[in-house]
Amino acid sequence: MWRLCDLPNRIRVSPGFCLLTAWFALDNGWELLGTVLGAAAVHELGHCLVLWLLSAPINGLKIGIFGAELAADRRGLSYPGELAAVLAGPGANLLCAALLTLLGGTRWAVFSGANLVLCAFNLLPVRPLDGGRALYLLTAWAAGPAEGEKAVRWAGGGASLILAASLVWVMVRTGGSLWLLPAAAGLLAAAGRELWLGGLKNS
Amino acid sequence: MTSRQAGRRIGTIAAERRRRSRGGARQAVRRKQEFLSAGERRRLIQLVACGGIFVLLVAVKLLLPGRMAQIDRFLTGPMEQNVDVRAVFSAVGRAFAGESDVGGAARDVYRAVFHPEEPGEVLETAALGELPAAMDTLRAYRDTEKPAAETGGGVQEQLSDGQGRTEAAALAYVLYSDQNLPSNVSLEQAILDFDYCAPLAGALSSNFGYREHPVEGEERFHYGVDLAAETGTEIGCFADGTVTAVGESSSYGRYCIVAHEGGYSTLYAHCSRVTAASGTAVYKGQKIAEVGETGAATGPHLHFELQRNGVYLNPIYYVAAV
Repeated sequence: MWRLCDLPNRIRVSPGFCLLTAWFALDNGWELLGTVLGAAAVHELGHCLVLWLLSAPINGLKIGIFGAELAADRRGLSYPGELAAVLAGPGANLLCAALLTLLGGTRWAVFSGANLVLCAFNLLPVRPLDGGRALYLLTAWAAGPAEGEKAVRWAGGGASLILAASLVWVMVRTGGSLWLLPAAAGLLAAAGRELWLGGLKNS
Repeated sequence: MTSRQAGRRIGTIAAERRRRSRGGARQAVRRKQEFLSAGERRRLIQLVACGGIFVLLVAVKLLLPGRMAQIDRFLTGPMEQNVDVRAVFSAVGRAFAGESDVGGAARDVYRAVFHPEEPGEVLETAALGELPAAMDTLRAYRDTEKPAAETGGGVQEQLSDGQGRTEAAALAYVLYSDQNLPSNVSLEQAILDFDYCAPLAGALSSNFGYREHPVEGEERFHYGVDLAAETGTEIGCFADGTVTAVGESSSYGRYCIVAHEGGYSTLYAHCSRVTAASGTAVYKGQKIAEVGETGAATGPHLHFELQRNGVYLNPIYYVAAV
């Protein structure tokens, strides 16, 4: 269990994230910022809960411009165990949205929508998103780690390229929508990493 | 050895020492660089890159101020044009709750992403060259009319002169020509073939037509009327119809749209609560929402719009403002 005095060492927040958060708050208001951060907190708590249930030690949390990354010692986890831990984040978002809808109908539609968007985004088959990791684990479980690596590289690279191109197209069409810029940059970086660097490593 | 030779010899030794000491310093820096970790090297490169960009920008600003102003204008547009994140979340959440179908949610998301400025706030107007002198007259009239902001406070007092308002409506009708109006606006007073009633009895705080936006500060066309009332005041449906959309956006706040017969539809925005569900049939005067100040509003009021087949009409003819 983490002690309060350890928190500054375990949680790292990048200056880029602070800048992006401030920009988002100025443009969209604190309420919407709280909504997005709340949905992100639900997501990370889902991961933490399953990791804690599986007795996997959590080493830290890195919050950057492209999202949060939970550092945990997964070495002792089996394929199904790690798969459960990976899918727990999007699952927590889905569960939260379902509960809010069940209890309040459309009263908390914005928060439940934020949870659903975060869930869908994280299920994209792109590493380091949960969907990419889940795809790797599933394929590796079924056909071995080499096949898992190959599957996630092609699926991730292709999906990243298509999504990045779509986002750039949206930005051009809207004449702005700069909120999509970090996502597009992150996806392009992911595509480069999967297709180019992966290819270099193999050649 | 002459003193001259001795001096030369001493000078050579000193130069040798200086060379050695410079070489030693270089080696020390090299040794230090070898000690830099990958992270430190990355941070150093980032720092140098950021410093370089900063120096470059300052240099451009000082040496080419016109060019910098051009870049500033170029960047300001995209910075201001952003996706309506709230509307996207709201559309997804409502579709998940079963209030709208997937197609409707996709339409709402498309609108929030591609047209974040609501129709009621659009800047595009029909092609107009030089604004006619009538516009100046109208603006001068608007200034003398001293309309209250969208807050409820003091509105009744300022707009108590019913005759003045009638004159304003008449003046607006006369002065706006088709050239000045946005293409999707008509000033005709349509005769409605169905029974209708005012959504609420509130003070008119902003009229249909061009106005200075109370939040943005720019002159924009206001596609509806604003009726100031206390938060929580019941909003009755304008006429019998079906609720076609219930949503939330950063501009309209919580809103609902009701479709009526004959291609008419009404929109009720900035509500604190929408009580009618999407897809349900509603009748004239039935409570469908409550007044609020959600979205881009500076006080509690109802923003009421009336459309006929996508063309905005002036709702003032059909609502009874206090």
